[in-house]
Order: sequence, then structure tokens, then C-alpha cells
Amino acid sequence: MEAFEYLLYGFSIALQPTNILYVFLGVFAGTLIGMLPGLGPISALALMIPITFAMNPASGLILMAGVYYGAIFGGSTSSILLNAPGVAGTVATSFDGFPLAKQGQAGKALALAAWSSFIGGTISVIGLMLIAPTLASFAVSFGPAEYFALMLLGLTAVVSLSERSLVKGLISAVFGIMVAIVGIDRQTGTQRYTFDSLHFLQGIDFLVVALGVFALAEVFVMLLQGRDAKGRAKQALGSLKLSRQEVKEIAGPVGRSSVQGFFVGVLPGAGATIASFLAYITEKRIAKDGHTFGKGNIKGVAAPEAANNAACGGSFVPLLTLGVPGSGSTAVLLGALLVMGVTPGPMMLEQRPDIFWGVIASMYIGNIFLLVLNLPLIPYIARILEIPRPMLLALIIVFCMIGVYGLKFTAFDLYLLLGFGLVGLLMRLNGFPLAPMILALILGDLMEENMRRALQISGGDWMIFLEKPISATLLGVAVLSLVIPPILRRIRAARAQAREEG
Amino acid sequence: MFTKQVIACATVALLSTAVISTAIASDWKPTQPIEYIAPANPGGGWDTLIRTTARVLQEEGLAEQNFAPINIPGGGGAVAWAQVAAKRGNPHTLFAASPPLILVPLSGASRFNHQDFTPVARLITDYSILLVRDDSPHQSATDLFEAIKARPSLSVGGGSAPGSMDHISVVGAAVAAGVEAAGLNYIAFSGGGEAMTNLLGGHVEAVITGAGEASAQLQGGQLRALAVSAPERMAALPDVPTYMEQGIDFTFDIWRGIMGTPDMPEAAVRYYEDLFQRMQQTEGWAMARDQLGWIDAYQGSAEFGEFLDGQLEQFSSVLSDLGLMRR
Repeated sequence: MEAFEYLLYGFSIALQPTNILYVFLGVFAGTLIGMLPGLGPISALALMIPITFAMNPASGLILMAGVYYGAIFGGSTSSILLNAPGVAGTVATSFDGFPLAKQGQAGKALALAAWSSFIGGTISVIGLMLIAPTLASFAVSFGPAEYFALMLLGLTAVVSLSERSLVKGLISAVFGIMVAIVGIDRQTGTQRYTFDSLHFLQGIDFLVVALGVFALAEVFVMLLQGRDAKGRAKQALGSLKLSRQEVKEIAGPVGRSSVQGFFVGVLPGAGATIASFLAYITEKRIAKDGHTFGKGNIKGVAAPEAANNAACGGSFVPLLTLGVPGSGSTAVLLGALLVMGVTPGPMMLEQRPDIFWGVIASMYIGNIFLLVLNLPLIPYIARILEIPRPMLLALIIVFCMIGVYGLKFTAFDLYLLLGFGLVGLLMRLNGFPLAPMILALILGDLMEENMRRALQISGGDWMIFLEKPISATLLGVAVLSLVIPPILRRIRAARAQAREEG
Repeated sequence: MFTKQVIACATVALLSTAVISTAIASDWKPTQPIEYIAPANPGGGWDTLIRTTARVLQEEGLAEQNFAPINIPGGGGAVAWAQVAAKRGNPHTLFAASPPLILVPLSGASRFNHQDFTPVARLITDYSILLVRDDSPHQSATDLFEAIKARPSLSVGGGSAPGSMDHISVVGAAVAAGVEAAGLNYIAFSGGGEAMTNLLGGHVEAVITGAGEASAQLQGGQLRALAVSAPERMAALPDVPTYMEQGIDFTFDIWRGIMGTPDMPEAAVRYYEDLFQRMQQTEGWAMARDQLGWIDAYQGSAEFGEFLDGQLEQFSSVLSDLGLMRR
């Protein structure tokens, strides 16, 4: 097998002592940076650029790639322990991870995240190795119409999850899109909902909203519970071990989510966030105990964590084979590569196999490093939970404020954070699901841009969305995802009633 | 009373140092690290220029003080420009500039334009290149523009917003070939990479991008170049004809240079001018330049300023043809 020989060649590069050191340093720095709310893969990579300047390109990319997937690996920690997702890719992890931590199973949730991330990362490296060149053509088959359809599907699927009320789910999604619209429209330069304020020109950052509606709102809820809750405030770390039963339970979701995540990651622009949400939704749909998702189901942690790490591997496909970055993080990687004198693209496999295969081999090593680095650290990291509640609340608030202030260094964002904290509290108290809103905010810009691009290409003809087979299929599934659950629920209710009567 | 006296003394002291520093103008040297600003996120053209020049200056031991790269993203550059504009006369702040410094203000998105700042030096240039898929029926730029005249719905993608660099450079060529400015269906993608994947996937008819960025894709054989905006064929792409060769009277420079704060002291400008000129003669620069596919195009402060005024005129006329002028 040809790929195997190349891989051996790759290992001969990745296993050079200096490169092993770089992988280790990369993933270590990446996990640490990823754990801090507010500092995601992009900032981690930007910090590395000056360091890699003088390196040979293979080592430089090995280091940078390590930082990148290390940051995504570490990002789940604050989602699980504090309900404060630091990057968009780990929002879905908090849905079940935080409830688990509340139930005294923080250790298990963190261990689950580490194992799922490891498997997701490893499966995606295998995918990258075996089918990267073939996949490039899959990635380019997605044009504006297809992207719009994919994102609409992601959104309707999340909305359809809100079991109690479809209408509240839709309202939440529409609110998210409204927030996404604020700022300068990139297509025409028109200002929208900026109220002539400079602060709104660049729009509202995802992180401000995420930390507000998740972390800060959580603080508010705890404050409302007041002293009554003090008795059970102490949260235990719980066991790190997964029982055989649990391993069996998550094997399927992790496998499926890894594969799905990898393919979504290959699409430029889709990336870890959509991958993690889609994985979460899919598993909730097909699980027998789907109704316990959101209340601390271990599959709800395993699926998005496997998916976001797999997507990270997938995002290297367009970068290395086409020379086009599919996300902000890979754009920074591309910039760094260009500075080092390497132009990724169709010719890279032939011209610089040392880089291509060296990096892929280093990813195997890096994922193992991440696992052995993170598992023993969990008990220490989870000590956060032993902090007395009043201090922990203060600490969360400080983390949120630092994360938000660090974005643009304006105090205005802190008021916005407070505002969104209150919005999150109100939504929670009134039973509005948060997931549709946050996903709509993340996707809103891209969805709108792609819709307008598609219409511009077709000269204003809406049929473009139905004439393209991929787009038509995705839109069909999107409609079904909204229509079928209520019908099913009605049938089930009717049956239950019939049974009672009979 | 006492504090007032102190302030008065301090003012006198400051004024006298200012006088002294103008007196020995030719010997001006930076006294603190230079804030070296890329008005965008890491990874783009401005950022690459800032980081590469900072590195070369340091490695070659040319500068007395450290050039510290800083990213100030937002508003297509407008956020950074507003900050620099507030530092009138500060000799320790420089930033990277390219055509958006002229285009963004023209579209009304920035209060400041190149005339508010002090030109220091133009360093390099690149050219724009018109690409189609290898299996496209269009064999030349003329072919493509004729096809667009017949079917105005044919789309040309680019990596930046309407009214920005990519758009201007393709509309300029189209107008020179007899297409109406508003008749060109330009699709704005959020980066050259995204535009390129859409071309590869057949979602748009052609793409306009920087020649440096496109060279790897051209080697891959899936894409074909119809024309470059250079006055003569580029050394790196000897097979790609210019617009001029095809009877389309059009050239377009994607220049990049360094600008300073408003009213930057002349002595400081002269110091930096000289510094960058010496940098461009080093081995380290030649290596970095060739790796990045840049072409040297040095101009000193005065010449650069005149060049910028010329650019303003050229861009204004294209933008008003497009109905995108706001100022």
C-alpha cells in the first residue's frame, strides 16, 4: 500500500528528536491557551508566528498544527467546568458537559472529552492520509447555494431539537440572526442596526454573546437560587473511569461523529462549529435515550468533542491539497507557511512530501501526547470546582470579562456582555432554548452572504437553490427536520391516548 | 503654585529637546521601539509585509530599535487608521499600506485617507491576474470580455468586497475592453482562497486575484491564466500575456508600502526611507521577497506621495463609473 510507505517516510521526519519536541511544545501550549475562555485557536496560532519564522517549514508546520489541534482539544475544559465556551467549536460540548459537572461527574465528562477528542483526531488523521486528494474535489463542489442550504439545515436541525416548543426555538433562531446582522454589511458597505455608534460597526462578536448567555446567565441563575443552593454547592470530581457499559454506549456516537466531523471539516468555511452541532443533533435523534440529552448524557459530550477534533483534521485537506484556507485558523497557518517559503497547493504533495507527510505523521504523535498530557491533569484542572461558590462565581465573572475585553479592548463590550447575560437569564427563565440563537449568530453572516452570492450568480433566480442537486437535497432534509418531529409527536401522543382508552 | 512651576519647567525642557532634535535633523534615530502596525488580522497581505520586514530588519541588524509588529484589525483598516491619525507627529509609529488605503475612504467607510498620513516608502508590488478553469472555452481576456458583453450574467469572483481592490482591477480591465462598468457581475467572496475554490468547483466563470497567490494553483494545472495587469510579462509567469498585448489598454499595481503618522517629522521620514532602501539591498530581503513572490518597487517618500495621488485619481474614476463613490 502506497499510503503506508509515505506514512513511514512521514514518521521518519516526525520522529526526529527536534520535531518530537516541537509537537510536544505545540500541543502543550495549544491546550493551555485553549483552556482559557476567550483565547481560541486563532490567537494561539498568531502567537506562534514569530517563533516559527526561522524554522524549517516542516518543523514550523508541525509546531503550528500542534498548537491548532491542541487548542481545540483544550477548549472543552471551560465549557464543561464553567459553562463558558471559549470558542464556537465547543459550545455544543457545554450542553451536556456542564450538567454532568453539576451532577458531580466532572471528572468523567473531562475524561470523556479527552478520549473522544483523541479518537476524533486520530480518525481524521487517517482520513487525511488516505483520501485527502480525492476529497479536494468534494470540497470544491460546494458553492454559495450549497453552503446556504447546509447552514439552513444546521439551523433547522437545532431548532427542531427544542422539544417543548418549536415556536420558541424559531424565535430564538431569528433573534440570533438579528444579532448577526448588526454591523457593516460586507457586500454593500451599508451599516445595519448600528444606531450610528462606532462600537457596532464591526458587529457583535460571538464570544460576547456566548459568554453572556451561557456563563454569565449561569452566574445569575445561581445568584437567584441564593443561599438555598449552598448545601449542594460542593461539586465532586467523581471518577475518571468509564465503565465497560459506558464505553460501549459511546463507541457508536464517537465513531459516527468522527467521520461526519471530518467531512464537514473538509468543507471550507463549515468547520468545527457546524460539525459539533450536527454531531450532537444526529446523536440526539438516533439515541434511544435522546430525551436525556441536555441533562448530562455522556453521548452528548462524546459526539461534539469527537466531531470538532475530526473537523480540525479535515480542515487541513483544502489547505494542503488546494492551497486555500477553509477557516480563520487555517488562513493564519497559510500565512505562516507562505512566510516560510512554502506554497501549499496541488503541487505540494509532489514538491514537498516531507512537509505533507511529516505533518500528518506528527498528528498521530500529537494526539497521543494530548491524551497522556490531559488525562493525568484532569484532577488538578477540576480543582476549580472545589473553589467555594461565592469565589467561583466571582472567578467566572472575571474570566468572562477578561475574555471579552481582550477582543477589542473596549469597555463597551463589557456592557454588551452584561446585556446578553440578562438576555440569557430571561430566555432560560421563560423556556427559550439557547442553542438555536447561538448557532444562528455563528452562521447568520455566512448564511446571508452565501444566499446573496448565489442569487447574484443566478441573476436573481431563486431556482438556483433547487436546480443544484446537493443544495436541493440539503434543503429537503431541512424542511423534513422541521416538519417530521411534530408529526411524530402527534402520532405518538395519539397512540398513547389510544392505549389509555383501550 | 509649585505644581504649576514644575509643569512650566517640564514644558520648557520638552520644547528645548524638540528644538535640539530638529537642529540635528539628519542624525535622527528612534529612541524607543517602533509600533509597526498591520491594520488587519494575522495572515493577510499587510500582516505578511509587516512581519517579514520586521524580521529582515532585525536579522540584518539594520535598525537601532526593535520593530514590534502589532495587528489592529477592523473596518477593512479603518480602525487602525483612526488610531494612527490620532498620533499626529509621533515618529515611532508606522503602518503597512496598499490600495485599500485609497479605496476604503472613497467608498465612505473611513474618514481618513492617504493624504492624512505621511508616505514613507513604497516597497513592493504585485499584479492582478485573471483566471479561468482549464476546461473553460475562453482562450484570452478578450474572449472572456466579449462573452460577458453577450451574456452579462456571467460571473467573475474576487476575494474582496465590491468597490475594493479585486473589483476595481477587473472592472478597470473590462471597461478598457469595452464592457460597461455596471455590466460586470462581480461576486465578492471573503478571501482569495474562497474565490478560488468556487472557480475550481465551477460556481463562477472566472476569478481575479493576486498573481503571487495564484502561482501554486497554476502549477497544479487545473486553472489557466488569461492575463496579468503588469506592463510587461512577469518573470515568474512568462507564459501569461499582459492585457496590453491583447489590445486592452490597462495596467494595475497591487503596491504595498509603509506610511507614518500625520505630519511625521521630516528627519524621521528620511531615517526610515533610508532604512528601508538599505533593507531592500540585503540578502535576507532578496530571499524573503522571492519566496513570497513579491517584486521590488521602491519609491521614496516624495515619489510615493505623488504615486498615491495618481492612484486616487484612477480609482475615483472607476468607482464613480460603478456608482460606488460616497465621498
